[in-house]
Amino acid sequence: MNRSKDLDTIAPDDEIVVSKSIKEKKLEKKEIPIEETKPIINQDFDYSFHDILGHTKSPFSAFLVHPKVLTFSEQDEAEEIYLAARPHWINNLSWVILATLMLFVPIFFKYFSFLNFFPVQYQLSALLFWYIITFIYAFERFLSWYFNLFLVTNHRVVDIDFNNLLNKHFATANLNMIQDVSSSVRGVFGTFFNFGDVLIQTASEKNQINFERVPNPEKIIKLLKELRDLEEQKKGEQDNG
Amino acid sequence: MEGYFFIFTKGFFILSSILYLVFALIVVKQVTSMSKSVTDKFNPILVIFSYLHLGFSIFLTLTMFGL
Repeated sequence: MNRSKDLDTIAPDDEIVVSKSIKEKKLEKKEIPIEETKPIINQDFDYSFHDILGHTKSPFSAFLVHPKVLTFSEQDEAEEIYLAARPHWINNLSWVILATLMLFVPIFFKYFSFLNFFPVQYQLSALLFWYIITFIYAFERFLSWYFNLFLVTNHRVVDIDFNNLLNKHFATANLNMIQDVSSSVRGVFGTFFNFGDVLIQTASEKNQINFERVPNPEKIIKLLKELRDLEEQKKGEQDNG
Repeated sequence: MEGYFFIFTKGFFILSSILYLVFALIVVKQVTSMSKSVTDKFNPILVIFSYLHLGFSIFLTLTMFGL
């Protein structure tokens, strides 16, 4: 069979090479979007932990589910916070009442006649002092509550505590180190407002972490159990292959 | 006698306000440190409150000197 000399004509046994159109080439050049690898143990768990914990919107909530803004200094880049819990807000009631009462204490000073012995500027200075002490008392108690955090991340549980503005306590335990989790709800307030202590026994050096007076302890236990199971599952998969 | 009593009271007020001023400085330092340790949306407001408290403490100290 004679081959065609005409370059535009293709002989039947010639290999047909279809040149790709510009559009197709452009499509090829387009980068295939790589799915963002979420730093979570199991993709499905991203959805199920909301089923366990529910949703919270208020940033002042004592039970923050998957907080977007909150971070802590010891946090790893790939670490994601599932839960941030503070002591239940009802625990603030005692100092709120006391601070409110302190505001009204100067009203009773006028009944103590001996204080009139002091000049007016002394009395005003003492009054100013009293109010500034009242403010710092309330502020310090608020800070102690606000920065007293219990975190559950995709890698570990973290307990951050500030005592009396001067002492910082930081404790952490990896999820795979958790051996046992228990909770206790005590008293009338605890039962009524559903808050209690969550005690986590670990295999690490510091063998227990206590989340004190946190809301919904049963939900925290369920979350930790799920995370621990996933961690074990992941470990099993790694061992097998 | 009365004069000595007021000098003693004024001294007590000045000393207390200076100690309080030192405490207010510690509060600012601690709130800043806490905010660095745990970052949240409302941390800047808390830092502002601590600085306002420091400002009031300075005002209080100056007031005590003016007695």
